[in-house]
Amino acid sequence: MDVLLTIFVDPFLDMFSDPVFFMEVVVTGLLTGVMYSLVALGFVLIFKASGVFNFAQGAMVLFAALTLVGLMERGVPVWVALIITAGVMTILAVLIERLVLRPLVNQPDIILFMATIGITFFLEGFGETVWGSDIHPLDVGIPAESFDFAGMLLNEFDVYAAIIGAVMVATLAIFFQKTAIGRALRAVADDHQAALSVGIPLKTIWIVVWSVAGFVGLVAGIMWGSKSGVQFSLSLIALKALPVLILGGFTSIPGAIVGGLIIGVGEKIAEIYWGPLVGGAIENWFAFMLALVFLLFRPQGLFGEKIIERV
Amino acid sequence: MTDTATAETTTLDTRRIGDTLLKIDDISLSFGGVKAITGVSLEIREHEICAIIGPNGAGKTSMLNVVNGFYHPQQGTITFKGEVRSQMKPHLAAAGGIARTFQNVALFRGMSTLDNIMTGRNLRMKSNFLMQALHIGPARKEELEHRHFVEGIIDFLEIEAIRKIPVGRLPYGLQKRVELGRALAAEPDLLLLDEPMAGMNVEEKEDMCRFILDVNDEFGTTIALIEHDMGVVMDISDHVVVLDHGEKIADGTPDVVRADQNVIDAYLGVAHD
Amino acid sequence: MTDGKDSMARLDTLPKILLDHAAKRPDGAAMREKDLGIWLTWSWSKLADQARALACGLASHGFVRGDKVAIIGDNRPELYMSMSAIQSLGGVPVPFYQDSVAEEMQYVMEHSEVRFAIVEDQEQTDKVLSIRDRCPKLEGVIYKDPRGMRHYKQPGVYSLTEMQERGRKFHADNKDFFTDEVGKGKGDDVAVMLYTSGTTGRPKGVMLSYDNVVITARNANARERFTDKDEVIAYLPMAWVGDHMISYGQAIVSGYTVNCPESSETVMIDLRELGPTSFFAPPRVFEGIITQVMVRMEDASWLKRKVFHYFLDVAKNVGVRLLEGKPVTMMERLQYGMGKFLVYGPLCDSLGFSNIRIAYTGGEAIGPEIFEFFRSIGVNLKILFGQTEASVYVTLQPDDEVWSDSVGVAAPETEIRFDEETGELLYRSPGVFVGYYKNDEATRETKTEDGWVHTGDAGYVDERGHIRIIDRAKDVGKLNDGTMFAPKFLENKLKFYPDIREAVCFGDGKDFTTAFINIDLESVGNWAERNNINYGSYVDLANRDEVYDIVKGHIEATNRSLAEDPNLVGAQIKRFMILHKLLDADDGELTRTGKVRRSTVFERYDNLIAALYSDQELISVEAKVTFENGKEGVIKADLKIRDVETYAAMQKAG
Repeated sequence: MDVLLTIFVDPFLDMFSDPVFFMEVVVTGLLTGVMYSLVALGFVLIFKASGVFNFAQGAMVLFAALTLVGLMERGVPVWVALIITAGVMTILAVLIERLVLRPLVNQPDIILFMATIGITFFLEGFGETVWGSDIHPLDVGIPAESFDFAGMLLNEFDVYAAIIGAVMVATLAIFFQKTAIGRALRAVADDHQAALSVGIPLKTIWIVVWSVAGFVGLVAGIMWGSKSGVQFSLSLIALKALPVLILGGFTSIPGAIVGGLIIGVGEKIAEIYWGPLVGGAIENWFAFMLALVFLLFRPQGLFGEKIIERV
Repeated sequence: MTDTATAETTTLDTRRIGDTLLKIDDISLSFGGVKAITGVSLEIREHEICAIIGPNGAGKTSMLNVVNGFYHPQQGTITFKGEVRSQMKPHLAAAGGIARTFQNVALFRGMSTLDNIMTGRNLRMKSNFLMQALHIGPARKEELEHRHFVEGIIDFLEIEAIRKIPVGRLPYGLQKRVELGRALAAEPDLLLLDEPMAGMNVEEKEDMCRFILDVNDEFGTTIALIEHDMGVVMDISDHVVVLDHGEKIADGTPDVVRADQNVIDAYLGVAHD
Repeated sequence: MTDGKDSMARLDTLPKILLDHAAKRPDGAAMREKDLGIWLTWSWSKLADQARALACGLASHGFVRGDKVAIIGDNRPELYMSMSAIQSLGGVPVPFYQDSVAEEMQYVMEHSEVRFAIVEDQEQTDKVLSIRDRCPKLEGVIYKDPRGMRHYKQPGVYSLTEMQERGRKFHADNKDFFTDEVGKGKGDDVAVMLYTSGTTGRPKGVMLSYDNVVITARNANARERFTDKDEVIAYLPMAWVGDHMISYGQAIVSGYTVNCPESSETVMIDLRELGPTSFFAPPRVFEGIITQVMVRMEDASWLKRKVFHYFLDVAKNVGVRLLEGKPVTMMERLQYGMGKFLVYGPLCDSLGFSNIRIAYTGGEAIGPEIFEFFRSIGVNLKILFGQTEASVYVTLQPDDEVWSDSVGVAAPETEIRFDEETGELLYRSPGVFVGYYKNDEATRETKTEDGWVHTGDAGYVDERGHIRIIDRAKDVGKLNDGTMFAPKFLENKLKFYPDIREAVCFGDGKDFTTAFINIDLESVGNWAERNNINYGSYVDLANRDEVYDIVKGHIEATNRSLAEDPNLVGAQIKRFMILHKLLDADDGELTRTGKVRRSTVFERYDNLIAALYSDQELISVEAKVTFENGKEGVIKADLKIRDVETYAAMQKAG
């Protein structure tokens, strides 16, 4: 009986007893959530536009961050380094298209997925060779002061990250829905053969998509790298993005944001209020447990497309 | 079968059939030992409607696939608009003015009718990536122009009511019409239709025939279609090519082909209307 | 010409009023049309200009006062404009039903002696040309849509734009011609000729004068408070008097805007986009809307369904009282408000009914539940009763006295009386038609010397002061035991069930009542899907035992309600049969406005009727049917006949 109380009643009492602190936890969770979303966005883009689940997204985040940090450490000013890194990610996209996607264009999806695993190992290994395996602190000039907001202790950095994330999502959503290129991207995701016969240049489209995903990865890399330094565990952030995708739906851009927010808040609340009961570290597995539940009841996620077949 | 016009209305010779638009020379195609097409040659002239007929497995779809580049023949050449090639590539075919529809309808199922047809305009879009991404200036103006053109097609095919519906939800007959719309959006010189009327009822077939004839009449589009309904073939085509087991067994006007003994034996059985 | 200015100022004809609008509010929206996906507006000045151009074009072709012109097509601004153009020259437009096949059109075209036909497109042109040789007075066909018309080289086929071009040149050379001609028009001139499709015999040409149309329009607008700010959607056939008044007569008189949908398939979509302030539809359409909504709800999640049904109940209790301004409690108001936010508001939006100030229905009886549904969610649906011969309005319901079983009180300036013997309703009003064209005999039979019109419908005034219509006077008959047999009354009760789309009852001169039933494919098909019942076609579904069971249940429920009325106990239905095909206008079994043609049905199905009155349980049929493209085919089926329970006289419940 006592056990039940501690699990189902006490945490809520804690929340209500100090509402300001509760809000702080929620807000921090939301801000973390946005960062998860940024990573998930990269997956969604590539999956939406080329039907490939890009296992290498995390490695791309890491690679982008490493490149940026490496350039900055060698004295290149921030803005120049950013532009060069963006360029590098574009070249990477071209290479991936030419060396990996084009030869495998008519193969089943699982083959392409394996190819992305290969890309992961390559990027991690290559990155390590070129930039070394130390932890690199990253500072691109985003202010990181703590400040007080309505009695809550928040960090400026998190707020900036949230804004940037929101802007990215909005831009990408508009891009997909309203522009001709967006339409071409959706067409390619839907049916390669048909897209070809309508004259849509598959190769160009893929380069575009992977470059954009690379750029999104760069932004994610900057955010995470600034927070905890650029190191190899950065590529593991990709794993956290999986629950986000499951919650939000693999093909939904708004879903990536909503999923990320839910995971972010859920994690934080679970950690703070239930953590002490189980000795902490709920944060590590909470997201995955939630994802499991979703897979059982609503596999397409909150926003994913229910496949509508006409019989 | 189809009343395409009452006697007094159309003056018949207004379709000016021109020179050769597509020439297929001695094409052979096999898939690992299976001969799909053997030594077939044919010519399609500008502004004509050419029907390709024959029993199932005769190689008709394979022929269309060769023309628009999905299959590469082992032998022979394709001459389109004067350019000779030993093989075509799909998006080159599209860029060169060939549009096609598929037997099993290859539409973008998750996209609306309008978006599907807009993708057909893709090749005609000229503004560059950045301007499109920002949806400004000439890109926006161009998008509106293309939308206007596509609305004209929607009006022509009488599909206003399903503009916004995802095509995956449409009945088969309407899907085929949308696919025709997408092909028309590219303003093609040569339109390849693979069994455009399969699975349609009488009324739908009549509508489709009307659209095909109107396209040929109003825009002068050359049309090559694979069709099984002999009534339709005899009614609307200028030129009929008969394939059987990968070989051409007849080639000429509908009347000539209908009376050809080889054709009757292989395909028509007792000549029927 | 000297009293030209005075004549114009009298505003007694539609063209004069049109020109008045063009002068006073040239930029106001007269009509709108959706073309290539966007709504384009015709201002009053544009409408007047176009009409003048066409009128002068016709004049240059030899058009003279009194000439008649056919108008054939879907609702398009160009066709309404054409009617104005014709009227400006003192001519008479004769709108046709655009879905008629050439044969049907031929009779009217020949009878009405039209000199020209202004048509929408190639399809209509083809129809007219195919019957041209049998319409000796027809000189020219003018088409609006040039698509497909490039090769038409016959004489006498012109494009509308071509005509208007000539007209503009004519006008430049004869500046005063147009205004002079309009000035010559008088209130008692014939304004339009509308052929009634008629349930019996050949169509008759009802001639309405400008006085008929304008005065009725002014009265209706005043009573129903129409202003130039109203918006309507024109989607019903132009040949029908209702559309002529709502989308033309009343529109011009009040100056409100008429919106033309893109095509007949997009009407519901366009309705949603426009959100008109007034809307008319036959009861079938409203029934269909409810069926669709209910079917969609069945597919929704459990939560949505619970919310929906909960608030529908709230609406049932509260909605109608709110609509009519009757007292409601605070709590009820709150609940209704929530319902509006969650359910009725979004629902009305999705139907395009958010701005409806008044919705009308009529022409057939409407089931009480359907009526209450719309009124309870805030759509002010009312019944009106009318005839072509009355310029539509005979009775109207006031906003706060709306019941499903009445047709209201007399329309403005309308006198009503009932024949003592037959109960037939007669009326007299400013809208009473001039006469039937070339058919004085029929005119004399219908209109008395002092202007009273026989409606052919039997009815009475009830205790609320409202008029109730029972049935066609001549259809009211008697069973062999003396019980009154009013077939329409019974059929309406049956048709209230969504599963039953059409019913025809027999009983006059017989021992008991029997019925033909047409099932509603959407409603029954939906039920079949839900219960995993497979069917291949309409015939298939209609023949299934399970479906017969459902229909039997409905008929028995009807019988029970009949048993509550001692006068009607004997009229209960004893046997029925579900028909293998829907009764159809194309087959001549229904009129173009959906009313059953009893004589045709009696004739065509006499063997089936005989089977109903025998012991047979099964009968084979083979029926010729006409498809939409005019081709004929044959349907074969074995139809089952089932008995139904009847009940002894009962007390009315509660």
